[in-house]
Formats: sequence, C-alpha cells, structure tokens
Amino acid sequence: MSKRYKSKKILVKTEYKFLAILMILMAAGLFFLPEKIDNEGTNPEEFVLNTLKSDRYISTDQLAKRIIDQDPTLLLIDTRSEEEYNAFTLPNAINVPLEKLLEEDYVSYIDQDSYDVVLFSNDNYHADQAWKIGNRKGFKSVYVLKGGLNEWFNTIISPKYPAENMPETAFKLYDFRKAAGMYFGVGAPKSDTKKATPKKVITVKKKKKRVAEGGC
Amino acid sequence: MKNKQKIKRRVYWNPYFGGFLLGLLIILTFYITGRGLGASGAMKSTVVTVVDAVAPAHAENNAYYSKFIKEGESPMNTWLVFEAIGVLFGGFLSGAMANRLKPIVEHSPKITSKKRLIYALTGGVLFGLGAQLARGCTSGAGLSGMAVLSTGGFLTVAMIFGTGYLISYFFRKNWI
Amino acid sequence: MGPLIPNGLIPIEWNFVIALLIGLAFGYIMEASGFSSSRKIIGVFYGYDFAVIKLFFTTAIVSAIGLYYMDYLGWVDISQLYVHPTYLWPAIVGGVFMGLGFMFGGYCPGTSLCAIGIGKIDALAFAVGIMIGVFIFSESFGLLEPFFNGSNYGHITMMDTFGISPYWIILIFTVIAVIVFYFSDFIRKRVKKVFY
Repeated sequence: MSKRYKSKKILVKTEYKFLAILMILMAAGLFFLPEKIDNEGTNPEEFVLNTLKSDRYISTDQLAKRIIDQDPTLLLIDTRSEEEYNAFTLPNAINVPLEKLLEEDYVSYIDQDSYDVVLFSNDNYHADQAWKIGNRKGFKSVYVLKGGLNEWFNTIISPKYPAENMPETAFKLYDFRKAAGMYFGVGAPKSDTKKATPKKVITVKKKKKRVAEGGC
Repeated sequence: MKNKQKIKRRVYWNPYFGGFLLGLLIILTFYITGRGLGASGAMKSTVVTVVDAVAPAHAENNAYYSKFIKEGESPMNTWLVFEAIGVLFGGFLSGAMANRLKPIVEHSPKITSKKRLIYALTGGVLFGLGAQLARGCTSGAGLSGMAVLSTGGFLTVAMIFGTGYLISYFFRKNWI
Repeated sequence: MGPLIPNGLIPIEWNFVIALLIGLAFGYIMEASGFSSSRKIIGVFYGYDFAVIKLFFTTAIVSAIGLYYMDYLGWVDISQLYVHPTYLWPAIVGGVFMGLGFMFGGYCPGTSLCAIGIGKIDALAFAVGIMIGVFIFSESFGLLEPFFNGSNYGHITMMDTFGISPYWIILIFTVIAVIVFYFSDFIRKRVKKVFY
C-alpha cells in the first residue's frame, strides 16, 4: 500500500475522506434523534383512568378467603414502617416500606408477574400510593387491600353481628368472618404462624447487574 | 525472500475494515451477552486452575484465587476461556487461509531469537501484572470499555499507549 | 430486548457456544488485520505502521455509535451493559505496566492468543509470561489488595466524569480519531519504512 501512496503523491485517499465524513455524520446524527419515547410504564392518560377505577381493590373478605385457602399466588406486602410491621402484620406478609418501594432490594417483590401482589397499610392511603407508583411504572397484577388493616380488624377480627332485618347473606358473611377471625386468632400476636416462616419469594430481578469479573 | 514477505503482507486487511468488523462484533457481543470481549481472563482462569490443582489449600486461602473458585465447578468453565479458545482457532483459521501458518520467532534482525523470547516473556509478566491491576487488558478494558464509554477503559488505554510512546525510544533496537 | 442472555432470551447453555463463536470471529478479524505480528503491532510506536491505532479507534467509534443507535431503537438497553469499573490508581498503574509489557513483548493478551494460533513462538512466550504475571499478582495479592480496591469510582462512564451527554463524547471522540488517522498517515509518509 505504501507504494501506492508514493506513486499517487496523495496523503489521504478520497474514500477515506468520505468515510471520515460519514463517521462524523453518524456520530452527529445521534444528536438529531427525536426524543426517545419512554415506552416503559403506563402512559399518563391510562394511568389517570386506572387510578379512577376501583378494580385494584380487594376486599378483606376476599383476602381472608385466599389466605385461608393458602393461595400460592398470593403475595402480601406491608407498606407500613418496620416498627408497625413488627408489631402486627398479616400472615406471611413482607415488609416493603413505602419510601423504599423502588429500592433495588424491594422493587423486585412488586415488579413481577408470578404473584398477585396485595398491598396494605393501616388504611388505603399508603397502599394506594404504593399502587400508584407501581401502576405508573407498569407493574402488573398489583392490588390494594380495601380499607387496610383497620378494615381487616373491623370485619375479620371483630365482625359486627348483623341486625335482625338483614338478608341471609349478611349472616353467612358474618359466619365466614367469625370463622376467619378464629383462623387468624384474635389480635393475632406476631409470633404465631406469621413470620416464623417468611414466605420465600423467588423474585425475578429485572435488572441483572453483572458483578465485576476481574481480568478482561 | 523480502519480496515474498512483502507480497504476503498485502494480504492483511485494511485496518479500517478490520476495525469496522471488530466494532460490529463488539456490538453483537454486547447485544447477545451484555458484556464485552476479553482475553487475559482466560489466562487468569488457567493460572487459577493450575494453582487449585497443585495446592488447593493455598488457592482457597488466597484472597484472589478464591474469588474465582467455585465449589464443584472448574475455574476453566467460564465464558472468557471459551472465547479465548475461539480466538486461538480464529487466528489459526485466518492464518491458514492466508498461508501464514509457520512456527517462527518473529524478531528484529538486530536481536537474536533468544533475546526476543526473553523480552517477550518479560513483557508477558509485566502485561499480566498490569492487566490484573487494571482489571482488564486492551480488549477487556480498552475495546469493550471504550464501547460503553467507560472512564476506566479510556484511562487505561491512554496509559498503555502513553507509556508505550514515552519509552519506545529505549526499545527501538528490539523492533526496528 | 437486548442484551439477550441477561434478559433470558437465549438459554444460558448456549452461552459457551456463543463464546466460542464470538472468540472465533474475534481471532479471525485480529489475525486478518495483521495483529498476529508483533512487529506490525509495535509499528504504532515507531511510526512505520499505524494499523493498531486505526483498528482500535475505528472499533471504538463504530461500537460506541452503533450501541447508541441500537439503544435508541430499543434493541439493546445501554444501562444493562457491563461497564468496566473505574479504579483510578490501579487503572493508571496497571496501564503503565501494560505499556511496559507492550514495549517488551509486542503483544497484548488477545493478539498473543491469535499469534499462537498461527504458530508464533514469541507469542507463546508472551502468554506464558502473562500467566506468570497473574501468578505473581495473585501471590502478592495480600500486599496489593488495599491498592487494588482503592480509589474506586464504581462503574462510571465519560458522561459521569465530564457531565456532558454521551452524544458529545462520541462526536468529540470521532473527530479526535479522524484527526489521529490523518496525522498517522502524515507521519508514516515521513518515517523510514521497516520491513517485517
């Protein structure tokens, strides 16, 4: 090749000039790419619609039934603080404080497809917030316990005896709740059945950060 | 003889073409595996395997070896080792097709083969040390690091070539 | 979508087959570009052959530009790729050692492997040297460990270091590379030819 350079007495061949310009144009072209559409998560309109819908709620009765049936697809997430969680929580619930929801260790509990995730807090409020964050991020099959733990106490642990004039279903419901209440134990101190065996959740880490492998 | 060599030399690809293909290969590698290319990792695995076979207790106790030893799995059983085997065969294949297969010691006419081999060995030792310190050689830290714009990758490459240019004068006899 | 294996789109069993094939292509390209010859490689330091710098920079530019276009098209998620970590001082000292080793030996680990492939005995000596180097490093790891793990900046990129968009980095880098290519030809014309 050196010979050709000498004979032609040129430093840079035209092809190379062309290629160099092409390369710079390719690099500059990156600037002109239209704004990348973030197609991850729910778009705002859909999100607003989702928040207005109430199908994210699961009632305490439904939840009690699923717990008693030992539904394997159920994953309970306690969005309250750690102290509250330690004081009382639902059987097999996992503590994911709201403010830590998106931290790497915790988000994989919620961002997954294999379980029906039920979020709860003392009332709807924090669980709803957690749900909104999750829904905006596009997480699937996340639910909120309607009324939270307060409702849980009012309905499952200490249900009200229905009035005489109520329909039969109300009595059936009462019976169910009474039975469920027995199942969960009144006041349910934290030590029995619950966290003795924290549910083993196999989470799929969406972002697999590779650990540095020395060498090259 | 010189003439014959010159004809052979022309067989080499245009470096820009080679670079373009290698760039595509790195993209493909990142696309498939999420990581870049590498070479010295395989040699490290070999060392770990040998040490583990000769003195297992010692390998267990050494903080560096033990990083790469897993229960019931050979340290050779890594991505980079297979890649390195591929590199060997790739080189062989290309050499065979371009008629370059020949067991020789390549050296400047100004030095002897023996001297060249000693220098090559010394160079290898230094390179091995450096590659471990910098966590990667020219392929791992350089090529793959630069592709994802890693600061460490650029830094290492700059240091390799910078040092090379600084001291090249003292080594001119070995090469020119 | 990509990277395929970390996202579970290709079963992990294929990993090693793919590694072999990628290595094969890597070795082939290097050998065909002349990287199995230490005197061709080292020409970059004496100005008689700039193939190394041309190939190296072209590769870096092509791969960086390509990866960013692929990220834009959603084919590969840049944030999921393995970024070589930056340990400032180990990288500098390691680079100096590698520069020394480069001048002594004329190869780097990858090129030595493909030179072994075509029967270069000096490359074999170099590879054995690397293993000895690794061995020495490992044996003295106790001493080196504080240094080795010190000044850790994590998996940072040029964007973090300079605080500008990756596109600027790529553009600046491309322009620098083109200038380097130009000057390398400029220098080579003025340097005495070396036949190897």
